[in-house]
Amino acid sequence: MTEAVFRETTAEPRTQSVPLAHLSLELGHLYMEDFEAGPGHLRRHLARVRPWAEAARAAAADRAGTTRPRVSTCFLIDDYFTRFSSPAELVPLLLAEADRAGLPVDYLARESGCAVAGKVPVAEAVAGRIVEEPPPGSYGNRPAAAETGWLANGVRSPTARAPQAMRKAAAWQPPTETAARRHSVFLDVELWDDTPDGQRVWSCPFLAAVWQLARLGLLRHQGDAVLEPHPHTDSGFPDDWDELPALIRLNPRAAPFAAYRTCSVLPNRFLPVEHAVRVILDQTDVDPEALRQVAERSAREGVPVPPSVADRISYLFYEGS
Amino acid sequence: MRPEDTAPRAVLDCGEVRTCLLPAGQALDSRAAAQLLRLRADERVLVSERPNVYGRSPDVLTGVDCPLPSSNGARVRAVGTVAARAALTEGRVLQTSAHFRVTATGPDHRRPWGHYLVRPAVVEPFGRLPRDAVAEGLLGGGRHGDLDVGLIAAGLQTRLLRHPLLDQRPPLRSRPTRLRWVAVPARDGDGPSLERFTLAEDELRTVRLRVPEGTASADVAALCDDLALHDWLLTTLVRILDGIRLGPGLPGPRRRPAAADDLPVVVGALRPAVDHLLHLWMPRARVPGHLAPLWDVLEDEPGFTRQWLALVQRVRDQLTLHAIPSARREVEPTP
Repeated sequence: MTEAVFRETTAEPRTQSVPLAHLSLELGHLYMEDFEAGPGHLRRHLARVRPWAEAARAAAADRAGTTRPRVSTCFLIDDYFTRFSSPAELVPLLLAEADRAGLPVDYLARESGCAVAGKVPVAEAVAGRIVEEPPPGSYGNRPAAAETGWLANGVRSPTARAPQAMRKAAAWQPPTETAARRHSVFLDVELWDDTPDGQRVWSCPFLAAVWQLARLGLLRHQGDAVLEPHPHTDSGFPDDWDELPALIRLNPRAAPFAAYRTCSVLPNRFLPVEHAVRVILDQTDVDPEALRQVAERSAREGVPVPPSVADRISYLFYEGS
Repeated sequence: MRPEDTAPRAVLDCGEVRTCLLPAGQALDSRAAAQLLRLRADERVLVSERPNVYGRSPDVLTGVDCPLPSSNGARVRAVGTVAARAALTEGRVLQTSAHFRVTATGPDHRRPWGHYLVRPAVVEPFGRLPRDAVAEGLLGGGRHGDLDVGLIAAGLQTRLLRHPLLDQRPPLRSRPTRLRWVAVPARDGDGPSLERFTLAEDELRTVRLRVPEGTASADVAALCDDLALHDWLLTTLVRILDGIRLGPGLPGPRRRPAAADDLPVVVGALRPAVDHLLHLWMPRARVPGHLAPLWDVLEDEPGFTRQWLALVQRVRDQLTLHAIPSARREVEPTP
């Protein structure tokens, strides 16, 4: 086919591509109370993570075959739900303990960055890409009134109405999981709520789903990459969380932040959250061009990604809370 | 490896286009058009200024899990997504269209939803697809509960028509049209062809196409958007001229006495067409090159452009006649 002579850039879709590693390995997802518990708590956490992190690296090396796998490590700090201390105080403590455990951290991210990164309302954009799983019988009609701010993996139980006088209450009907194998594991996830003054607060599973999409290199805003890592050049860290970039590269020689696959080493208490993450990712219509770029490059490198986004993420849950 | 490569062959494309006049006194400028078409904050509206001003929204998906309509009563359940998008031509004509393609076969159970989402605008049947029966069924319209692509296009249209940018004061009266289309693979070695274009009742048009394998679904949809746009323009202009009272008219009890009063009536009826429609005719403007020849069939029979030019000439002649002061007119204009 000959190339067109006349072109109009505003009329053509354009999607920036991002550098990609083989594996994005998450070493922890810490809340402020984890830090509050002191350096000993942090040390115990990292000591438990280490063998699993090594296993994840070994699995990535296996998959990459002869090529040396590019693995980048990351750490997520929650500054969204609670604010505690300051980056100047906490970050050096975390990095020192991680180095001591033999788990150097390549990238550090703030959870707030998954809600709004710079000026880009990332969470809102991802929420706008949710395409709810249709229950059988959906023929193009409007989906039954969705519970705003909730997302389920099936059909909810019909709402029980207060029985009127002289009428029997309708019998209870169970909810059903759409992709159930005979029996359902029904999950209904709260994506957000609004404060009385009208501010939207995104839920932890929803931000964790955004975090997974960022690590898979699948987030775009009007075609541009979002949550790009800022190099860490200063000697110290700021006193205010808002002054810390949403994502910083601590190791200048680190493999790219985004990767074909992700693995997160987390304590057991994250199990329900991560189930919810899968439910959300399974119903998110990711930018098709970003999806195509990743599929094409991973195939060229001989490590094709699974087509479904939710199948690209994995977890290692260790005992503890 | 593209995700589609792992999927079975697609053997049927189907879509519906709803075309209507934008209910606004003035055509929208490019900036307002982009605002109207911004269905999602994180995705750009594609805006083009050559060969005409045109904006197109990103695609939005709707999940479906229901039987496909069929002409022989077979009820084939299918699961997948239908893509819908909106386009605005010269800030004046709004089109919302929905389309999907069906694969030849599919598993006999429903897969996790993530499987369907990475194959946008693809619907998979349970088992083998009875292609011809379903193609007929889709064109003819199904029973209640069968996949209704028109409903999805209409839903998007309704959503956009409520946009606060629109003042709901259209400059002329017109009726929306809908064009439903199916495309099945061409026989080996054959190029694309337009097999049938039917003007049905209730402003419904149906189009049956054959396209070579590998033709992108979006390309076929673009051709059908273009056909729908021009069919709507013709329909609308025919309707403006149909029933208009030209000339002095016949004397009668209900006729107003002063002949001079007729002038603004005809001019008033034709002027909006000049202001808002006549510059929009541009067949093939947004049709991919390899499908553009399909227009030729319609140009030969019934001759879309031929009819359009005749109508335009008629509008211009009328306006020219009425531009001559009546005192100097020797003969009153007649149809």
